[in-house]
Amino acid sequence: MELFNNLILGFGVAITPINLLYAFIGVLLGTLIGVLPGVGPVATIAMLLPITFNLNPVSALIMLAGIYYGAQYGGSTTAILVNIPGESSSVVTCLDGYQMARQGRAGPALAIAAIGSFFAGCVATLLIAVAAPPLAEIALKFGPSEYFSLMVFGLIAATVLARGSLIKAIAMVVFGLLLGIIGTDVNSGVLRFTFGIPELSDGIGFVVVAMGMFGTAEIIANLDLKDKREVFLSKVTHLYPTKEDLKRSWASILRGTALGSCLGILPGGGALLASFGAYTLEKKVSSHPEQFGKGAIEGVAGPESANNAGAQTSFIPMLTLGIPGNAVMALMIGALMIQGIAPGPQVMNEKPQLFWGLIASMWVGNLMLVVLNLPMIGMWVKLLTVPYRYLYPSILVFMAIGVFSLSNNPFDVLIMAVFGVLGYICVKLECEPAPMILGFILGPLMEENLRRAMLLSRGDPFVFFQKPISLGFMVASAILLVIVALPTIRKKREEAFVEESK
Amino acid sequence: MRIKNPKDFWAGLMFIGTGVFFAVFAYANYQMGTAVRMGPAYFPFLLGGLLAFLGLLVFIEGFALEGTGEKLYLPFNIVDLFIAVAIFAVLLELAPRVGLSPDWGMLAASLIVSVLTVLYRPNAKALVLISVACLVYGYSMKPLGLVGATAALVFISAYGGHEFKWKEVGILFVILILFSYFVFVKGLTLPFPMWPAVWS
Repeated sequence: MELFNNLILGFGVAITPINLLYAFIGVLLGTLIGVLPGVGPVATIAMLLPITFNLNPVSALIMLAGIYYGAQYGGSTTAILVNIPGESSSVVTCLDGYQMARQGRAGPALAIAAIGSFFAGCVATLLIAVAAPPLAEIALKFGPSEYFSLMVFGLIAATVLARGSLIKAIAMVVFGLLLGIIGTDVNSGVLRFTFGIPELSDGIGFVVVAMGMFGTAEIIANLDLKDKREVFLSKVTHLYPTKEDLKRSWASILRGTALGSCLGILPGGGALLASFGAYTLEKKVSSHPEQFGKGAIEGVAGPESANNAGAQTSFIPMLTLGIPGNAVMALMIGALMIQGIAPGPQVMNEKPQLFWGLIASMWVGNLMLVVLNLPMIGMWVKLLTVPYRYLYPSILVFMAIGVFSLSNNPFDVLIMAVFGVLGYICVKLECEPAPMILGFILGPLMEENLRRAMLLSRGDPFVFFQKPISLGFMVASAILLVIVALPTIRKKREEAFVEESK
Repeated sequence: MRIKNPKDFWAGLMFIGTGVFFAVFAYANYQMGTAVRMGPAYFPFLLGGLLAFLGLLVFIEGFALEGTGEKLYLPFNIVDLFIAVAIFAVLLELAPRVGLSPDWGMLAASLIVSVLTVLYRPNAKALVLISVACLVYGYSMKPLGLVGATAALVFISAYGGHEFKWKEVGILFVILILFSYFVFVKGLTLPFPMWPAVWS
C-alpha cells in the first residue's frame, strides 16, 4: 500500500505541467541525440548540467533522465534504418534490424523496438519503485568501512565491464581517483596539487572533465574518421507488426526486460551491456538460430527491451546508495550536487517528491517516447541527412558556453580543452575514459570513508574484512577480478567486445 | 627488446609518470600522517604508488604481448607535444612582462600553435583546432564579447574539419549566435557581454 501511495505522490509531481514539459524536452533531446550518430547521452547531459543550475531539482533530474532513456529509443531508429548505431547500446540492433529493413520490414522492426522498449520501461519503472526503498533502508546502516568496500566493488565492476585491457581500466580508475584529490583537503585544509593556481583550490569541476573526455574528445575522434555516413532511406510503409511478429517476439521482450533489469543494477552495467547480453541469450534459446543476422525479429525485440530496461534500472544504485554505476549516473550525481543535494540513501526520505517524481516521470517519459518515435519517424529519418560538419561546431558552441557559464572563468574552458586532448590520447592508447570518470567522482568520497574507517578501527586495515557486509563486497570484488583473469572468460569477454567494435 | 605493442608501451609510460609524480609530490610537500590519522599525503601517495605499479605492468605487457585491433596512430609525436606546451608556458610568462594580461598570452600561443599545426602537422588539424577553438572562445569572451568569441569558435573549429566553405560556416555562425543570444543571454540571463569591450 505504501508503494501505491508513493507512486501517487510521484505521479502528482510528474504530471505537473512544468515537469511534463521538462520530461518532454528530455525525451525529445534524448531521441534527437540517439538518432544522431556521434553524439552520446554522456556529452549531452554534461552539456546541459550547467543549465540545470537554474531549474528546480526535480525538473532538472527528470529532464536529464529523459535524455538517457530517450537515447535508447532514438538509437534503434538509426540502427534499423541506416545500419549505424546511433547509440553504442544499439550496436546489436543493427545486425537484425537493418536486415529486416532491407527486406522491406523496417516498419515492424521499428514498432517492435518501440513496443519492447516501452514494456521494458514500464517494468523497470515498477522495479525501481519496489526495489529502491528496501535497498536504501539497508544502505542507511552502512558505516564508512561498508561504503569504502562498496565503492571498491563498484569501481572493480566498472573496470571488468569496460572493454580492452583490465589492467589499463584499473589504472584509469586510479588515475581518476588521483585527479579527484586535486583541491582543498577537507580534513586538514591543505591545498593539494593546486600548483598555486587559485581556480584549482575547489578541485577540477566534474562537468568540465566529462565534457572534455566525452565531448571534445569524441568530436576530434569523429573528425579523424572521414564523414562516411550514407543514408539508406527506406520508405517506412506499414508500421504495424503482424500477428506472427508479435507471437515471435513477446517472449524475447520478456527475457530482454528481465536480463536488462538485472544487468542494469550491477555497477558498471547499464544499457550497453544489457543489449549485448540479450542478443546472445536470444540466439541461444531460439529454435532457429540460423535466422539471426538475417532479419530475425527476436534479435531486435530482445536487445531493444534490454537496453531500455538496463538504462532505467541503472538508476537504482545511484538513487539508493549514491554510487554511480556508469558515466551517465555519475553525471546525475553531479546534477544532484549542483542542486546542493548530497546523493545517498537519505534522499528518498528527505526528498520523497524528488525521488518518486523522478520514477513516475520515467513512465510518463516512456509513453511520450512511443508517441514521439512511431508516428514521427519520418522526421527523425530526415535528421540523419544533416551533415556532421554543421553539427559539431554547434555542439562545441553549447559545450563552451556551458562550461564558461559555470563560473564565468576562461580557466574552466582551458581545463576542458586539456581533458579533450587527454581523452583523445587515452582512446588512441586504448584506455577507456569511462572508468576514469567514475574514479574521479568517487575519489573524494573514497578517501573520506577510508580515513574514517581507519580512524574508527585504530589503523587496522582488516576492518574491511571483519564486518559482514563489507567483507561481502570485498569477496565479490575479488571473485570478479579472478573470474575475468581466467583465460576462458577473458577470451569470451574479448570476443563480445570485438563484435561490438565492428 | 622490441616493442610489440606501442599502445601499451606509451600508456604504461603515461601511468608510471603520473603515478610517480603524484606520489613524490605528495611525499615531498604534504604531511604523511599515520594509518590512524591520515595526513593529506597518505591517500595520494598510496594511489600514486599503485598507479605507477599498474603502469609498470602495462609497460611490460607492451614488450610481451602483441596488440590486437588497429595499429597505434597519433598525428603528432611526443616532441610536438612538448613544443606546444612550451609555447604556451613561454607566452603566458612573457605576456605580463610586456604589460599585457596573461589572457593575451594564451590567445597568442593558441594562434602560434594552430598555425604551426596547419603548416607542419596537417593530420593533427582536428585535434589542435578543436581544442584551440574552445580555448579562444573562453579567453576572448571578455575582450571580444559573445559575438566575437562565437565567431572565433565556429570558424576555427569548422576549419578543423574536412570541408570548409565560407558561406556555409557564415550562415551556421549567424544561426548559432542568434540561438546563443535568445536562449542563453535572454532566456537564461547569463551575464555575457555581447560586443567587443572597446566598442562600449
